[in-house]
Amino acid sequence: MGIANLSNAAAIVGAAESDVIGYPEDLTGHKVTSLQHHIQAIKNVSELTGIPISDIQGIFSAGWSGELAEHLGLRPRYLDTTSVGGCSFQIHVHHALAAIHAGIIDIALVSHGEAGWSYRGGGGGGGGRGQISPGAEMTAAYGTFGAPSQYAHAMVRHFHQFGTSQEDFAHISVVTRDWAQLNPRAVMYGKKQSPFGGPITVQDVLDARVIAWPLTLYHCCLVSDHGGAVIVAKPEIARSLRTNPVWVSGAGESMGHQNILEMDDFTATSASRSAATAYKMAGLGPQDMEMAMIYDSFTITAGITAEMLGLAPRGRGYTLWKDGHAAPGGRLPINTNGGGLSFNHSGMYGMQLLVEAYRQLSRTAEDGVNGIEGKQTEATACVVNGTGGTLSTTGTLVLTSDDR
Amino acid sequence: MAYNKPIPPQGQHTKPFWEGAKAGKLMLPRCADCNRVHWYPRLICPFCHSTNLEWIEGSGKGRLHTFAVQHRAFGGWAEEVPYVTAYIDLDEGDRMMTVLRGVDATKPEEIDIGARVQVEFEQANEDTCIPFWRVCDASSDESGA
Repeated sequence: MGIANLSNAAAIVGAAESDVIGYPEDLTGHKVTSLQHHIQAIKNVSELTGIPISDIQGIFSAGWSGELAEHLGLRPRYLDTTSVGGCSFQIHVHHALAAIHAGIIDIALVSHGEAGWSYRGGGGGGGGRGQISPGAEMTAAYGTFGAPSQYAHAMVRHFHQFGTSQEDFAHISVVTRDWAQLNPRAVMYGKKQSPFGGPITVQDVLDARVIAWPLTLYHCCLVSDHGGAVIVAKPEIARSLRTNPVWVSGAGESMGHQNILEMDDFTATSASRSAATAYKMAGLGPQDMEMAMIYDSFTITAGITAEMLGLAPRGRGYTLWKDGHAAPGGRLPINTNGGGLSFNHSGMYGMQLLVEAYRQLSRTAEDGVNGIEGKQTEATACVVNGTGGTLSTTGTLVLTSDDR
Repeated sequence: MAYNKPIPPQGQHTKPFWEGAKAGKLMLPRCADCNRVHWYPRLICPFCHSTNLEWIEGSGKGRLHTFAVQHRAFGGWAEEVPYVTAYIDLDEGDRMMTVLRGVDATKPEEIDIGARVQVEFEQANEDTCIPFWRVCDASSDESGA
């Protein structure tokens, strides 16, 4: 069975964030709910593109699609509420591409709002109605809680297989922080935003408080608030708007496991498969990528994923940061917003990846909303990879600029 | 002292495991068709999709696949930080999570990936014994190599 070639069958025509991200209560004196983040971002992307909210035909979100449609007074003809962790939004774009290519819809909204800090501890993995999955039953006794407690096992295995060290991965934290200093909306932009903000050194990373060895605090992402929305549309519409289209040239998704207990190789994720699908669709390969947006829940996530995307040899993903290639002015800029490590991480970070990739490839990264001089790259092709769960699920997009 | 750490609720199809644990046995699910052991216990064989599953008594031996040192934990485990969590490659195949005993959590660089390990059980309450794994002395493990 052949697969239809969906390459460039749709474009991202705009991306926007909610009005106040990071720690809204510190900045405004009041909390902003996840729904408010959604609606603000949707309103903003509608105004940016000139597409009325009433023209949206399909709604894609991580569990929110029914509520959003109702709140917006829409009667969508395509609903997708796939929620498989932080890569859900890359997967939504993949699904929107397919739905548009099939002619079911012309305009898709992908939205996310998550008050990950302000309402921390209030929710959780829902839906069990008192039942426990057998995977959880066999791991619940051991006191691990939260992502760092599990991701640390992957880093130790990487040390063992490839002879890497905490210091090697610390370079990812340092370079990502360099990017955050070019982004005024980054939580770690400077001391004014956070007492931990501003530049850091490898030694700072090594000396930071241990969360789950070998992960110190600076190997771990932020916990903050964010809302973001993108609109995906068919080419005829994309070419008619005042915003620059960014083409969805390739898309793929895959998963390795749900529970990390089932992870075959702790140093490899399904991004190798989701990326292979995306590259093939795009007719491009890793050597063609001029920047990358890589989910960095932890330094290990980014390092491994760079390997899975073919941007560096196995075991050597961290060298992209250590050797300066990923840094401002480098040959392969990575995580130009400051990443989940230093910009913003609300829990499911894939939307932040999308917004930044759109801004870079649409040449609006220095539009005054989200960037200062030096942040805009010249990249015409960007690989975007979300990782969800516990190194579990992945969605990969190959995005290209209209001037490529 | 009463056991003060999380005690997992027991599912409907995992009873033989928990009954075995109370008797000090590591019971493992095996597919009677393809003969492979899997972990965690499934309703269907994840390899050949047969539902013809059985329980066997495992050797209780394995090797350390990877580990981490937890410096932050909740409930009863908070009193034990730092402690070592680990994934164990069972001699019968597939992998199990645990808290690893017999290692120094303050010297993670001295913990050997690939080390031989053996299961042991701790009684948590009347119905539940929790499996833990311990690094073997070289002399006490005849199958080690």
